Amino acid sequence: MKLYLKSLSMHLRGELEYRVNFILSFLSQIFVFFTYYFIILALFTKFDHIKGFTLYEVLLCFSIIQFGFSFNEVFARGIDKFDVLIIHGNFDRLLLRPKNIILQVLCSDSDFVKVSRMIQALIVMGIALIHLEISWNLFRILCLLFMLISSCVIFFGIFLAAAAYCFFTVQGLEVRNVFTDGGKHMAQYPIGVFQKGFVLFFTFVIPYAFVNYYPLLYFLGRSNSIYYAFSPLLVFFFLFPCILLFYFGMRRYTSVGS
Amino acid sequence: MSFIEVRQISKTFRIARKKSGLKESIKSFFKRDFIHVKAVEDISFSIDEGEIVGYIGPNGAGKSTTIKILSGILIPDSGDCLIDGITPWKNRVEYVKRIGVVFGQRSQLWWDLPAEDTFDLLKDIYEIPEEEYQSTKNDLVNRLNLQDIINIPVRQLSLGQRMRCEIAASLLHNPKILFLDEPTIGLDAVSKQIVRDFIKKLNKEKKITVILTSHDMADITSLSKRIILIGNGHVLYDGSLKKLQNRYECEKYISIKTKDRLFIHKKGIYHKKKTKDGYDLTINTNEISISELLNVISKKITIDDIEIETDNIDNIIVKLYKDYQI
Repeated sequence: MKLYLKSLSMHLRGELEYRVNFILSFLSQIFVFFTYYFIILALFTKFDHIKGFTLYEVLLCFSIIQFGFSFNEVFARGIDKFDVLIIHGNFDRLLLRPKNIILQVLCSDSDFVKVSRMIQALIVMGIALIHLEISWNLFRILCLLFMLISSCVIFFGIFLAAAAYCFFTVQGLEVRNVFTDGGKHMAQYPIGVFQKGFVLFFTFVIPYAFVNYYPLLYFLGRSNSIYYAFSPLLVFFFLFPCILLFYFGMRRYTSVGS
Repeated sequence: MSFIEVRQISKTFRIARKKSGLKESIKSFFKRDFIHVKAVEDISFSIDEGEIVGYIGPNGAGKSTTIKILSGILIPDSGDCLIDGITPWKNRVEYVKRIGVVFGQRSQLWWDLPAEDTFDLLKDIYEIPEEEYQSTKNDLVNRLNLQDIINIPVRQLSLGQRMRCEIAASLLHNPKILFLDEPTIGLDAVSKQIVRDFIKKLNKEKKITVILTSHDMADITSLSKRIILIGNGHVLYDGSLKKLQNRYECEKYISIKTKDRLFIHKKGIYHKKKTKDGYDLTINTNEISISELLNVISKKITIDDIEIETDNIDNIIVKLYKDYQI
């Protein structure tokens, strides 16, 4: 952990070497984010609700997913950009060091510009919470917290699985974007609004439903099942196969020419 | 049992074959042909502690693949390898603490930060105790003359300066074995000399084992007595450099300055060429000794001047590659 924090601070210092670039990128992220935001706003000028979910309910869902995704972009950038690590041959160097590989990949890169997205996600979440009339209690607070955590965890798992994919082929990376970016865009809406096949897929294969659907039902008071409040914790089980997949892929690593 | 024991290592890569051109690129996106390339085959050798071994061969011979296997980056398809009692790819974490690796073509330093920050991070990665770290670092800084450059962002250093920092970074944890993959590539004569002298001293004082690959034969001759020649994935020669040189040294180039005409036909003289002010001869000293030749020639003509040359090491290597058809 100490090692990770140290490399984080080194990345930050490295990025701050290019001050103007950092500020401009930071600002440009705000515009990118608001286009996503406006798409949802625009949608709701036509429709009052999507399958019973109102604007602010969808925004809450959206902000939770955006937060988890951006969190990983900042703190697990090395895993997100794992293909670059492989293509440039820098993964060799990690293998030469006496530390856990996943930890080292985490240490290898980070993108502090995306902090701006995390902040914006929290702002949108704040707006949504103000407009929603939530009858707060301890379980609702916990539920919200679990949703945020599980959102970070699920994207970490997906990034890791996508990184494992790089061991098998460094090309055709669009396939993995279907699951990272594509998954993110779908999960911005409560999974329940989709067709049954999708719901099953996003419950049992990539468990987005435990991040933003079942707990959301409890949080909004549409379900009284207390299990739903704790369902985000199931997402941790999703991590195991992702980690295994990564180590399995590592055995097939063939490096690149010198 | 030697310090480094490599037995019959083979590694095959599967490479997607692609023809040039956009159309072919698109085609290969959907359907790929694969060819299997044997990078190394049946490589065996052993190295004692404290040796410096030059590992040479033309581009694509399998040098880097061997280094990557020995350093635990790649897992061979077959074969065994025991280094200091450990199989590199089986006990990675324990093993890599004992080795240092320098890739001349790749940097391990943080591009935007001073080298000292990288050193600091390496201290944590290798869990080097503070005192030991300080003394090793100071020692390396003095030996490699880094005082003025470790506080400058790496991107602003010259290649020679950077390489010195790279080498220091690979030695902070006091490894027993040092792998150097083309450590002097792109360096000027002075920097090369600094690097060579440093490695030589290090080997002598700390008994560190060094495995070195390079295309600059001067690196090899100045550092190692033993070379391993590899071509097409096989070990072709393993032995002393001197022996190899002797094998080719029997060929001498003699240029004679004279105003007379020379007619000479004798066993041992392979090539005679008229030049502007004399003749160039190539002889084999096993068949004709130099004194014998001079004797014959001086009887026939007046020699104004004479120069006798032996092949330099680069030419020997070119011939060697030719002889082994690699």
